[in-house]
Amino acid sequence: MSLLSWMTCSMRGTASVLAVAGALTAGAAHAEDITLTVWSHEADSKSKVAWRELAARNFEEAHPGVKVKITWYQKEPLFSALNTALRAGQGPDAFYIERDRVEYITNGFVTPLNDLINWSSIKPWTKDVWTIDGKTYAVPQEVWTLENFFNETRMAELGITLPDNKQLSQTEYLELVKKSVAAGISPLAAGAGDRPYPGAYMTQELLLKRLGVDDYRALLDGKISYTDPRVIEVLGYVHQLVEAGFYPKSFTTMTLAETWPYFEANPAALMLIMGSFYAGHPFTSDVPDSFKLGVMKIPALDNGVCNECKTAAVGASFAINSNSEHKELVADFLNEMATPEMGARWVKTVLLGTAVETGPIESDNPKMKAYLDEYNEANQGAKYFIGAPHQYLTGSCKEAWAQIINVALPANLISIEDTAARLDQACYRP
Amino acid sequence: MPAEAPEPRQWRQILDRVASTPWIEFSVFLFPAVLFYMVFTAYPVARTFINSFFVITPLGSEYIGFENYREIIFEDWVFWKAVGNTLIWSIVGPIVDVGLGLILALVIYSGVRLGAFYRFVWFAPVLISNVVAGILWLWIYNYDWGVLNSALRAVGLGDWAMSWLGNTSTALGAVIAAHSWKWAGFDMVVCLAALYALPREVLDASELDNCGWFAKTYFVIIPMIKRTLLNLTILAFIGRMKIFDLVWVMTTGGPLWSTETVSTYVYKRAFNWSTFDLGYPSALGSLWSLVIIVVVILLTRIVSSKERLEY
Repeated sequence: MSLLSWMTCSMRGTASVLAVAGALTAGAAHAEDITLTVWSHEADSKSKVAWRELAARNFEEAHPGVKVKITWYQKEPLFSALNTALRAGQGPDAFYIERDRVEYITNGFVTPLNDLINWSSIKPWTKDVWTIDGKTYAVPQEVWTLENFFNETRMAELGITLPDNKQLSQTEYLELVKKSVAAGISPLAAGAGDRPYPGAYMTQELLLKRLGVDDYRALLDGKISYTDPRVIEVLGYVHQLVEAGFYPKSFTTMTLAETWPYFEANPAALMLIMGSFYAGHPFTSDVPDSFKLGVMKIPALDNGVCNECKTAAVGASFAINSNSEHKELVADFLNEMATPEMGARWVKTVLLGTAVETGPIESDNPKMKAYLDEYNEANQGAKYFIGAPHQYLTGSCKEAWAQIINVALPANLISIEDTAARLDQACYRP
Repeated sequence: MPAEAPEPRQWRQILDRVASTPWIEFSVFLFPAVLFYMVFTAYPVARTFINSFFVITPLGSEYIGFENYREIIFEDWVFWKAVGNTLIWSIVGPIVDVGLGLILALVIYSGVRLGAFYRFVWFAPVLISNVVAGILWLWIYNYDWGVLNSALRAVGLGDWAMSWLGNTSTALGAVIAAHSWKWAGFDMVVCLAALYALPREVLDASELDNCGWFAKTYFVIIPMIKRTLLNLTILAFIGRMKIFDLVWVMTTGGPLWSTETVSTYVYKRAFNWSTFDLGYPSALGSLWSLVIIVVVILLTRIVSSKERLEY
């Protein structure tokens, strides 16, 4: 046999073997072997990882032959990966999304979920957050309100007693800040080093209280100028707080991850303005015994038209890739995460607010229970504005808000007039 | 005088040479490199340039001619702020880096004790990634517990302690200092190699002429390694025009755009503005590439009139 004919025979033989092997493998495999891919943020949150993985295992049990593979990311790497993958017509079947990523919706990367999800178990207002022109694009999982937390021990050291409604006037609040500084206690734990919003929290809440829901929305929509006297009044009060030493000196470079220990450490800062998602942290971390979490309201403004107004928002949510070949299956997985049982489990194990209708939940953790009572008290009679500015704004206005309201104003790097002028330049479109 | 056309015999020689050239072998050997270059360099560059004339979203593209360029040049003040910062960095950075590198090299060249140790220590930052260096310097500049402010407080200069990266008047300088710390070691090694290559007899002659240390450095050594210094300066200049990673880690261009560079701005426009439009950032990138090319050509012309540069 010549070399050539030997090679030909060998190749034919190999091809036959491969063909048979392929046929056998195909026959042995389950007819419905499918792997759903999910990309999720919050890789470093053990409780959230455990919760979502549990949902995945429950789903697999209910759907034999279907696997759910969750890939865990931190936020920035996740959205960088999504930007590239979605543009290329690829990406996972479902992915984590937040409301400020509206570009995924406007560019058609996300499937409308109106008929795919069991919305009866989702709180209607959280569904509305994701509804644009009648189409709902994501399943909300986490909700939060913006809170003015404080360390009860430090507050007691300063001899301050809060009124029954937990809301100081703007003058009292300013005095509190001055008293805290004089006592050598940092008034606020805050850092804008790696996020475009923590430094803006106080200003945005005061703007909301001063303008009321409708005009505040108009301001964010660029219909009201930042030179409006009411806005200038708020900026002036924020400036007074800044001058009094409200924000820490390391504020511009401090990261969100550094802020929380800064609040909880001993000696610690007096207050922390943060989404209620923070509350899970002190109950799952080692904090000093002296740390006792309290909740108060953002101060009432003398001329505030809605001092009971505050921000509520939807956090973690999940959307389905419009290029997914398994839309209905992956919608079932999202439904699995949105059952009342899983919602209750979220509150109890992740210790955060849920977008799922669960009914009253009793916490097993006594400290958490005390906190929840206080939280409910601080939210008594609250009127919510849904969504934070960084979730609304886009383009140059988003960048200007991040640079000016989030950093420059709290760091005392810019005058009130310049603040208004620059924001108008970027945002005002009457 | 017009060049003479080849005679028929010369034509034949040329044709013979072309015919005898092993084109197939040439092609086989060149193909991988050309393919690599076309796919990873030429195509992206060309595509970026073409994109700059469109508004590009995943839903489609719209041709807008030079509108992106017009907006950049006449309306985008953040771009001009970024250009200013980048130019300050590109001019100050190389002078600091090369100057510091030369001084460190001269220290070692002078035969200081533990020279090998210092050479390693000063070169070590070059081996660290910009991301790690950025985090390191974030800690050094930390207001509360950073080394810099702690040292100032320790020597009774606590009033000078400040948020170095949080102040618009110090942030750019602080980032430039961090970058110079990282790259001075590289310049030191290159300068040191140039110094060791100097002809010994020239230096000996200067010493016989009672030339002092400063005079020897200024009148003999620096002129003799001028070509190396110029190469380093131009390389540093080009590098600073494209600076991104260290700024991104340390300040992301803030506060108040005081450390914004053209590269960080391009990135923000491409990925942080929640628009998905790649046309405008492509125009920014194309325009800035053009500026860099022109500057490099000019520098090359200026310098190569005296010295031939290679980089």
